[in-house]
Amino acid sequence: MAYIPKTGRTNMHVLVVEDDAVLADGLSRALGSHGMQVEVVGNGAQADLLLQRVTTVEVVVLDIGLPGIDGFEVVRRLRARGASVPVLLLTARDAIEDRVRGLEQGADDYLVKPFATAELVARIKALARRHTPRPAALSLGDLLLDTSTRRARVGDQAIELSVREWAVLEYLLQHAARVVSKQQIIDAILPWGDDLSLNAVEVYISRLRLKLADAGVTIRTIRGFGYLLELAA
Amino acid sequence: MSSIRLRLLKWLIPPILLMNLGAGALAYVLAPPPLREAVLRTLVLLEIVLALACVALIWFSVSSGLRPLNRLRAELNQREGDDLAAIAADDVPYELEPVVSAFNGLLAKVGEGAQARQDFLANVAHQLRTPLAGLKTQLEWLGARHAEPDSAQSVRLMLSATERMIRQTNQLLSLARAEPHHFEKARLEPLALDALVAEAVQGFVDQATLKSIDIGFDLQAATITGDRFLLRDLIDNLIDNAIRYTPPRGAVTVTVRPGLLTVEDNGPGIPPARREQVFNRYVRLDDKSHGSGLGLAIVRDIAVVHGAGLVISAPESGRGALFTVKFR
Repeated sequence: MAYIPKTGRTNMHVLVVEDDAVLADGLSRALGSHGMQVEVVGNGAQADLLLQRVTTVEVVVLDIGLPGIDGFEVVRRLRARGASVPVLLLTARDAIEDRVRGLEQGADDYLVKPFATAELVARIKALARRHTPRPAALSLGDLLLDTSTRRARVGDQAIELSVREWAVLEYLLQHAARVVSKQQIIDAILPWGDDLSLNAVEVYISRLRLKLADAGVTIRTIRGFGYLLELAA
Repeated sequence: MSSIRLRLLKWLIPPILLMNLGAGALAYVLAPPPLREAVLRTLVLLEIVLALACVALIWFSVSSGLRPLNRLRAELNQREGDDLAAIAADDVPYELEPVVSAFNGLLAKVGEGAQARQDFLANVAHQLRTPLAGLKTQLEWLGARHAEPDSAQSVRLMLSATERMIRQTNQLLSLARAEPHHFEKARLEPLALDALVAEAVQGFVDQATLKSIDIGFDLQAATITGDRFLLRDLIDNLIDNAIRYTPPRGAVTVTVRPGLLTVEDNGPGIPPARREQVFNRYVRLDDKSHGSGLGLAIVRDIAVVHGAGLVISAPESGRGALFTVKFR
């Protein structure tokens, strides 16, 4: 069973638009158990109405093959109204035309059915994060990063992190349980394109490992590729 | 058309022979008696030369008249079982033309049938995806909260059966996509092979972690021309195959170099005698494993439509299997 870390904010308001009752119910349960507040509708017309009325929806999970107004049309109308709420398309087809068309209409991401719950949750969180950056705190195991005060704690113990170490750890926490490449880490901590060698990333990681020895989390090395922050076994 | 020679033979040779015999007899009868012996000798010599010329003509005509037929046979023998292209009618002997065009009609009908079957299969596979997604989502939710060992075990088994159905469904779709007559040249684009592998890393790490397999990568920048989705299928199936057949705590390494993709494992390896065979559909070296028997067939189909070479060998360490895909 894939384990999904509970990082970031809870109570995220997610709208699920799916006409298959079993999948809709499953999505509602799965996302609900990750602390999201889920609303389900079964067709495009309802989704369109609801998105006009309710402005608190933070992420829309939208099936393409809906009866009546299809997913493409729902996104098109949404974007035509100028709404910027992130949309994740679900599709049962993998034809390239579908993907391209969905993204052209203004969807932000797509996922081919069937998918792992962990993958869906990670994508939804990533979309929400892009939209509302920097949650107040990030946590995993006993580790807590308070992004407003920029203080890091393991349990009750404060830990000292350099600016770069903080940036690396923040990025890893934002992508907890996901594999991130060394290059992704460099791109994330140096947005203005400074030069940093892959070796330097290794140095920050080994320092972080020492500092996080008692945090109940481990940074796994993916040989020749990158790292994976997860709960210690 | 070339068998016009055979018809020439039929209509030309007998009259020539008859006329030649008649003329000989006439010359013999009309010649004054003292000259008859000399005429006879000359005629015999002439006949011998003529007979030899006839034999050569017949030999040449028959063998070259039959050449198109042999070529046709060789071409049909060489075809793959799924190659249903029409036989080119411009190089066919005159007599065979009606047969060939009737045969082409049959091939077309068989081809339409195969196409309809393939479309049906792809359609069914697509239709299965939504209910499978529902099933998987429900079971994952149930598995995450059910602590009682008996039920938890049951949920795990159901989830693993669902995973197998999902895999089989996806394999059917990949197979349909890789069919040569579905392959579209228009979809070819320059692609970063290393980035295609990197996109897939998360899934492989999750899969390898379940078996405690050490998965590693060595990716250098490499640009190739290909179909993005087919190449993802190729990469997915090669790595999935390596993880599947490597025992727990083994190692799998994926390497990308310019024009080259290799996947190396330290599992049981594949004996040289069976290296061709494993690319056939539904061939498995080990009956215990839960493979679909389609993965490597998909890899081969995709390599073929991309004009890429695909070779299995043993790694330098001597243990395990090394799959090499060489793009042109």
